Amino acid sequence: MRALSWCGGLALAASVLAFPFLVNAYWLSVGVLAMFYAIVTASWALLAGYAGQFSFGHMAFVSLGAYTSGLLVKWFDIPVPLGMAAGVVVCAVVGSGVGFVGLRMRGPYLALFTVAFSEVLRIIFVSEVEITGGSGGLEVTPLFHTRSDMPSYYLGVVLLAASLAVMLALVASRWGLFFRAIRENEDAAAAGGVKVMRFRVLAFAIASAFAGLGGGYFGHYIGILTPDIGSVDQMGLVVAMAVIGGAESIIAATIGALGLEFLVEALRSYGQWRLVLFGALLLLTMRFARNGLLALAWEQVRRVDRMRTSRRAREVGE
Amino acid sequence: MPGPSAPLLVEARGLTKRFGGIVAVHALEFAVRPGELVGLIGPNGSGKTTTINMLTGHLKPAGGEIYVRGRRADGLAASAFAALRVGRTFQITQLFSRMSVLENMLVPGLARPHSTRPAVTRAARQHLEFLGLAALEKLQAKNLSGGQQKLLELGRALMLDPDILFLDEPFAGVNPFLRDEIIALVRKLHAQGRTFVIVDHDIQALQRLVLRLVVMSRGQKIADGPVAEVRENQEVLRAYAGI
Amino acid sequence: MTDYLLIQALNGLTIGIIYAVIAAGLTVIFSILRIVNFAHGEIYMMGGYFSYFAIALFGIPPLLAVIAAMLTSFALSILAERTLLTPLYSPTTERKGDYGILVTFGISIFLRNLALIIYGPYPLRPPSFFAGALIAGPLIMTWDRVFAGGAGIVMLAALIWFMQRTPWGEALNAVSQSRESAAIVGIDDQRFYMLAFGLGGALAGGAGALVGPIYSLSPSMGLIPDTQAFAIVILGGMGSVAGSILAGLLIGISESMFIALFPDPSRSLTYAQAFSLVILMIVLLVRPTGLFGRVHTAME
Repeated sequence: MRALSWCGGLALAASVLAFPFLVNAYWLSVGVLAMFYAIVTASWALLAGYAGQFSFGHMAFVSLGAYTSGLLVKWFDIPVPLGMAAGVVVCAVVGSGVGFVGLRMRGPYLALFTVAFSEVLRIIFVSEVEITGGSGGLEVTPLFHTRSDMPSYYLGVVLLAASLAVMLALVASRWGLFFRAIRENEDAAAAGGVKVMRFRVLAFAIASAFAGLGGGYFGHYIGILTPDIGSVDQMGLVVAMAVIGGAESIIAATIGALGLEFLVEALRSYGQWRLVLFGALLLLTMRFARNGLLALAWEQVRRVDRMRTSRRAREVGE
Repeated sequence: MPGPSAPLLVEARGLTKRFGGIVAVHALEFAVRPGELVGLIGPNGSGKTTTINMLTGHLKPAGGEIYVRGRRADGLAASAFAALRVGRTFQITQLFSRMSVLENMLVPGLARPHSTRPAVTRAARQHLEFLGLAALEKLQAKNLSGGQQKLLELGRALMLDPDILFLDEPFAGVNPFLRDEIIALVRKLHAQGRTFVIVDHDIQALQRLVLRLVVMSRGQKIADGPVAEVRENQEVLRAYAGI
Repeated sequence: MTDYLLIQALNGLTIGIIYAVIAAGLTVIFSILRIVNFAHGEIYMMGGYFSYFAIALFGIPPLLAVIAAMLTSFALSILAERTLLTPLYSPTTERKGDYGILVTFGISIFLRNLALIIYGPYPLRPPSFFAGALIAGPLIMTWDRVFAGGAGIVMLAALIWFMQRTPWGEALNAVSQSRESAAIVGIDDQRFYMLAFGLGGALAGGAGALVGPIYSLSPSMGLIPDTQAFAIVILGGMGSVAGSILAGLLIGISESMFIALFPDPSRSLTYAQAFSLVILMIVLLVRPTGLFGRVHTAME
C-alpha cells in the first residue's frame, strides 16, 4: 500500500514538473489556472472542511487580493511581488475582520453572512468604475513579460507547493488539532481550554491570506481583471472542486481542483453544460460520497488490497 | 474535611441569570473550599445546570460575581475558566466525535501553555489507563459506548489538571455498574486532592458519595450543609414532593 | 417630490408583499426541516420562468399561469427534497447542518447554471399580465404591480388559513413548534418534510411568477430577493408568518426609499442591490442567534 502511495506521489510530481513540455500552449494556460484554483480550493478546504467554518466569501478575498495588488502596482509602480505580498496582507487583515465579526454566527448564518459580504464587495468593484475599471476590466501589470506561460506555470507550482507545505504543517501541528476540535464541538473545545474565538479568527486570516495570494497570482497572469472572479458562481466552482475532491482533506481538495479545472477545459465544447454537469456532480458527491470522490476511490483501493491480503493469508494457511 | 477558614476555591455571590422573562437563578450564594465533595440537587428547572454553566464560563451571569481562587472570573470565556483549571463535564456528553480517543485527550492538554506533545501524550495515556480506556486509544470517539464516552469526557476534563471539577449529571442514564465505577473514580480523584461539585438527580448515588449537599429550587438555594442535615430539611422535602 | 416618494413607497409596499411571500416560504422550510435553504431564490427564479413559458406556450391567462408556476415549483421542490434532502432525516447522517448548507448551495448553483443554458444569460422581459396602470389622483401604479400585491396578499392569507384551519396545516404547525413533541403524538411522517419543502417552494415560485413582468427575468434574479427573504425571516422572528409579513413590508418600503433617495443616480441601481445585502449582514450581526436563539436556550 505504502509503495503504491509513494509511486503515485512520485509520478504525480514528475508529471507536474514535466507538464509544460508535454502539452501545447493552450493546455499550459489551463495548467496555470489549475494552479490558481488549487491554491484557492485548498485554502477553502482548510477553512470550511478542516476548521468547520463555512465561508462562501472566499472568492471575495481572491478578488480583493487581485485588485489590491493590481492597483498598488499600477498607482505606485512597485514591483509585482511586493504588490502580491500587500494583497496577501490586506486579505489577512480583512479576513480577520470577517472572522471576528462572524464569531457570533454559527453554521448557516456564517455562510449567509459571507455570501452577502462577497456580493457587496463584488458590487463595489463593479460600481466604482473609475478606480477598478468595473466590468470593463482593470489592466494589471503582468508578472512575466514572456510570451510563454512557462514561468507563470512554474511560479504557480512553487506557490502551490509552498501553500500546501504551510497548510499541511498547520494541520499536523496542535493548531490543526484545535481547528478540528472547534469543528467537531465548539463547547467542548472551549471547556478544554481552546481559545475558540482566537482560532476561528486565525482560520479566517490564514485562509483569506492564501486566497489573496491566489488572487494576486491570477490577476497578474490574466492581465485584465474583472469583478466576476469574486462572483457566487466562482465560489460554487471552488466549492464543487473541494467537495468532489474531498472537502476535509487539503490534498484531496487540491487534486479535486486540478482535476476539475482540466475537466472544465476538456469539456469546453459542451459550453455551459459543463457547469451544470459539475453542479450535478457536486450534488451526487454530497449525496452518495460525502467525503469526496478521492476518499471513495481510496476506500475501493483499500478494499481490494484487504481482499488480496486475506486471500493470500488463506492460501498460505492451507 | 477542610477547615472553615481554608481559602475558597470557587465562590459565587449574588449570582443571577435571566432567560427572557424567567429568572433561572436568583441571587445565589455558593462557595466551595479545596478538597470538598459537594452535591448539587434540585427538581427540574431549579437552575442547577445554569449555575454550573455560569461557574464554568459557558453562560454570562446577569448579575453577581464569581471568584476563582479569590480573583474575579465572571464574564470570562469558558476557555479562560479551563485555563484556571476549572474542569467540567456536560449533561449530554460532549466529545470530538470524529477525532480519536487519544486526540480527544490531547486537545485540552496541548491547549495549556508550555505544554509539549510528548509530555501531554504521556499524561493522556496515563489518564486513559486510569479510566480503563487505554485499549481504545485509536478508536473514533463516536464509536465508543455511551459509558465509555462519559469516561472519556471525564478524562478530557482531567487533562486540565483541574483543582475543581463540575460534573453535570454524571449518573444520568447510566447502568449500575458504570455508576459504581464512576463513584469509585471520583473517590480516587478526590483522595488525590481534587475538589468536586456534582449535579445529579440520583440522590441515592450522591448521598453515598458526597459530604455536603446543596439544594436548589426555582433558582434559589434552599439548603446547604452536611448530607444528614439536609435530608431532614422540611423545605427540601416539600420542594421534592412535587416530583 | 412627495408624489414621487409616495409612489415609491407604494411600490415598496408591493415589493414588500412579494418579499413577505418569499420569506413565508423560507419560514415554513426552516421551521420544519431546520435548514437554511440556499436554493430558495432559484426556485423563485424558476417560478418566474415557468409562468412566462406557461403563457408563451399555452396562452393561459395570468392568474392560471401564476398557479401553474406555483404547482411546478411545488413539484420541483419535492423532487429536490426526495432526491437530495432525505439524509437529513436519517440518524446515521453526520453533521446535518453542514450537509444542509452544502446541498442547498449546490442546488442553487445547479439550478442557476441550468437556467443559464435553457433561458440564456440575458434578461427576459415577459409581457405585462395586465396592460395599463391604476391612476388615483397623483398616484400611478401599473396594474401588474397591483396584481402582484393583491395576489401576494391572497397567497399569504391562504398560507395562514392553511396552517391554522386544515389538519395538514395544523400538523405542520405542530412539527414546526417542536419536532420531538410532534413525533410523540405520532406526527413524524416524512410526508411532512416533503410538504413543507414543496409548500415553501410553491410560495417562492409564485412570487417569482408575479414579479416577472415587473422586474424581468434572469437566471441570477434569485440572489437578491433570497437575501432579503433571509433578512426578513431573521428580523421578523422565527416561525412567525405574521412577523415575516411585517418585516417584509418594512424592508420593501425602506429599499424603495433607499433607491429613491440615493444621492448618486448613476450608482443607485447597483448599490440598491447592495442595500439588501447590507441589511442582511446587519441583521445577522445584531440577531446572530436569530432563528435558533429562543428555541435552543436551555433553562436547566
